[in-house]
Amino acid sequence: MSTSVEAPRGTTPAPAPAKPRLSDRARSERRLGLWLAFPAFIIMLAVTAYPILLALWESLFKYRLTAPADREFIGLGNYAVILTDSLFWRDLGVTLLITVITVVVELVLGFILALVMNSALKAVRGWLRTAILVPYGIITVVSAFAWFYAFDIDSGYINHWFDWVPGINPDLNWFADGPTALFVIMASEIWKTTPFISLLLLAGLAQVPGELTEAAEVDGATWWQRMARVILPNMKAAIMVAVLFRALDAFRIFDNVYIMTNGAYGTEVLSLLAYRTSITRLEIGMGSAVSVLLFLCVIIICFIAIKLFKVDLTGARGGN
Amino acid sequence: MKGSATKRRVTWTIISILVILYALFPVASILATSFKLPSDLTSGTFLPTTWSFSNYEQILVGDAQGLFLSSLRNSIGISLIATFIAVILATLCAYAIARLDFPGKKLILTTALGVSIFPVISIVTPLFNLWRNIGLYDTWPGLIIPYLSLTLPISIWTLSAFFRQIPWELEQAAQVDGATTWQAFRKAIVPLAAPGVFTTAIIAFFIAWNDFVYGISLTSTDAARPVPAALAFFTGASQFEEPTGAISAAAIIVTIPVVVLVLAFQRQIVSGLTQGAVKG
Amino acid sequence: MPTDARHYARSRVRSYAAAGFALAVGATLLSGCSSSEGPPTLTWYINPDAGGQANIAETCSEESGGAYTIETSLLPNDAAAQREQLARRLAAGDDTMDIMSLDPPFVPEFAEPGYLAPVPDDVAERTTQDVVEGALAGARWKDKLVAVPFWANTQILWYRKSVAEAAGLDMTQPVTWDQIIEAAAAQDKFIGVQGARAESMTVWVNALIESAGGTIVENPDAPADEIKLGIDSEAGTQAAEIVSTIGKEGLGGPGLPTQTENTSMIQFQGDQGSFMVNYPFVWPATNEAVTAGTLPAELIDDIGWTLYPQVNEGEDTAPPLGGIDLGVGSNSKYPDLAYQAIECIVSPENQAQYFTSNGNPPASAAAYDAPGVSDTFPMAETIRESLELSKPRPQTPYYNEVSTGIQQTWTPPSAVDPATTPATSAEFILAVLKGEKLL
Repeated sequence: MSTSVEAPRGTTPAPAPAKPRLSDRARSERRLGLWLAFPAFIIMLAVTAYPILLALWESLFKYRLTAPADREFIGLGNYAVILTDSLFWRDLGVTLLITVITVVVELVLGFILALVMNSALKAVRGWLRTAILVPYGIITVVSAFAWFYAFDIDSGYINHWFDWVPGINPDLNWFADGPTALFVIMASEIWKTTPFISLLLLAGLAQVPGELTEAAEVDGATWWQRMARVILPNMKAAIMVAVLFRALDAFRIFDNVYIMTNGAYGTEVLSLLAYRTSITRLEIGMGSAVSVLLFLCVIIICFIAIKLFKVDLTGARGGN
Repeated sequence: MKGSATKRRVTWTIISILVILYALFPVASILATSFKLPSDLTSGTFLPTTWSFSNYEQILVGDAQGLFLSSLRNSIGISLIATFIAVILATLCAYAIARLDFPGKKLILTTALGVSIFPVISIVTPLFNLWRNIGLYDTWPGLIIPYLSLTLPISIWTLSAFFRQIPWELEQAAQVDGATTWQAFRKAIVPLAAPGVFTTAIIAFFIAWNDFVYGISLTSTDAARPVPAALAFFTGASQFEEPTGAISAAAIIVTIPVVVLVLAFQRQIVSGLTQGAVKG
Repeated sequence: MPTDARHYARSRVRSYAAAGFALAVGATLLSGCSSSEGPPTLTWYINPDAGGQANIAETCSEESGGAYTIETSLLPNDAAAQREQLARRLAAGDDTMDIMSLDPPFVPEFAEPGYLAPVPDDVAERTTQDVVEGALAGARWKDKLVAVPFWANTQILWYRKSVAEAAGLDMTQPVTWDQIIEAAAAQDKFIGVQGARAESMTVWVNALIESAGGTIVENPDAPADEIKLGIDSEAGTQAAEIVSTIGKEGLGGPGLPTQTENTSMIQFQGDQGSFMVNYPFVWPATNEAVTAGTLPAELIDDIGWTLYPQVNEGEDTAPPLGGIDLGVGSNSKYPDLAYQAIECIVSPENQAQYFTSNGNPPASAAAYDAPGVSDTFPMAETIRESLELSKPRPQTPYYNEVSTGIQQTWTPPSAVDPATTPATSAEFILAVLKGEKLL
């Protein structure tokens, strides 16, 4: 279909006048490039930019879906209510707690798994990778139910298996208390997403120049020294990217909490607050404001990571 | 770290067993639950006391058949279409990024990155309102479009990384032979790029298959409700009895495609994930 | 009808827009329009059950002689999620909302903005002739019938005869919460209540406050910012005392903070079961488990039942009311046919049949006398009596806020303090209703 090359260019974003005169070849290449990239770009923008702008607009109203007649412009009123409510800050705290703990644990666990896969014998490598990909591919909701049923005081067996551990007995109700419920929620989250982080780290591990580790070994460095002086510094970029991606993902945690506790007993996270406000309570205005704040939090985390820790995402993610 | 070959093998066997236990235990746990009778659920044991297929019967041929099978159809259809569209669009886009010289490359990659870190819950409310107004609420396209926001970014990144490794001299050779850019792309590059595209498709499918938030927010009948959302619709023998068994059985059935894909394509998935993610 | 025409045009525009979108993404859009041949199809949004509503839909479709066909569409398992789905569709002006199975507390929220088509007077008269009082109250909004009662649920007090006997309680006489708390504590047994942070908590608190002579919302018709609550009252304090005692003394068992109707039944069936407030599904479920051999046969003979406990001795108890009312969406294309169908659905024969097959008690008093009912449910008479006494939960358009507010402030039961909980609970709900606080 070579016709697509001759398509009118009026509909594409006007190319910046970079060089004064382009050859025909270069011009047609540029047009083709824009045409090929344009649909994906527009769809990505349409499904995110438009809704978030709409949310921004609707967050300025007092608007309940079941009382459309009472819709009223209140400016930043919704934001004032949310930011002065301790519930928002508590949910933010819980979300951050989950983010920090899961990312740290995943990083350690993922690194161990990456080392195992990196140095595994050829014979088992395939098996290990297959096994590790199961949690990666499994539906989060399924993972949530699996962990929930295992720990649940009625249908679970964990209490019976581990009753020799101090604090665990058949009467322990994991989901009746914030800390224990969060433990199970985080366990499910960690189980499901560690494979992803370990694969990122595996890729980083593969990039550490073999000559460096060998040279260190020849110099008599112990395993720990090689790890700390050679391998980890060379993996810094991979680790940073893995941490940032997982942190942003963990910050948006929803499925596990929704299934296991629905936010009861101090386990509510920001995503769930946004969901309950706009979808359950049908308070579109207030819910949109929570959504916008959640979005802002993600931007802030990203900004901090990029400015403070100089994580070069485009470089690390395959861009040149 | 050096020992005899046997010692190494034993160590690796132990490590492998540990890793496999870690990876598969929760799956085994819900698998065991799916074979329990309702009255067996509170036994406090891992394995059922009597093995029963009644939960599978309930969702495949029994009361919950309509609910489960229609949601399974929706999940498969919607995820496949979303994957298909995402991969087509991403292939074109990634080809352009990896291969052609045009302005705005950086903008597209940054946008993709921005979209992939976007909190889904933030757009679900406005999307819900928009869909209501234009009649997309509770339809297949109403889920396919938002799924693209999940699948497109990672597809673009992964494919861009793949395409950079393709020996493009072949394309030039084809162009020298008189083919247009498009023909060169189709004849010389597509066969080389196909494995990468396929891998990307698997990863995108996993992502679409996993969705829950859009599924519960943008559907309300079995016209479009996907499986993860449908799990909340199961019921026990009566309104108040918990559908633990049915949910477990359904969970196992939706895990089967994941396991099959992983078994068949673990090498490709790993290389796809790592290439798209960290590539210096 | 101009409104119909406009609506039709609007939905046409919508389907064009939808089709455009569908084409844009290369997907096929399932056509929403049904063909014009054959009788009109009525969609009935049903809550999950054991297939009874689908059977009734079939029966009534046949009986209509081709006037209509009823198709069922399933709602989620959880009552709050059912409301969510229905509210979203109603707000979207969906014209397939022909018949809806509605949980009574959510009726006002749908009636207030005019989402429910008015019940024709003659239908109202015919379908409510012998409906038990509690069920009728739950189907009204601003003194008008806005939905038709289909079945009515209520909690009764289930007890283990052995425990009651050991405590020396005369179960033929009304018992109080204090009595059962004392009996269970003395014998180291668990009381079955629903302490999870869910709708069931509101059910419990409402029953306690109503039994103590109070009411949660004093002016349910009022707009959000004028609502007056009766939680911070003598009755509220009494309710808090009961919840708190059961929670603090561990009488609800270790599972109390997550206890649902189902888990409290399981606890009741076990060795430490004593008394339990719960719905009639307990009976068929227990019988089934005994038949399956997972519970001892003697258990059945040890189970007794009576009315929901009183808060103050000698004052009538106010058991919880649940069940389903049938409403018609105001955008339905066939409201007359829908009400015709509803009349068929709620016939006493269908209600009785539904009771024996699905365990959901009829709203019609006559249905309790139908043959077979007392064989399947020996406690049918207690249920009818309980329904006559039962009190609905607050009938306000802001029920969701009130209920969620109660759930958040009254759980876990062990954290309830009779001195402060009623006041904080009321304050919190009012602030939420005024839009000053998040929920």
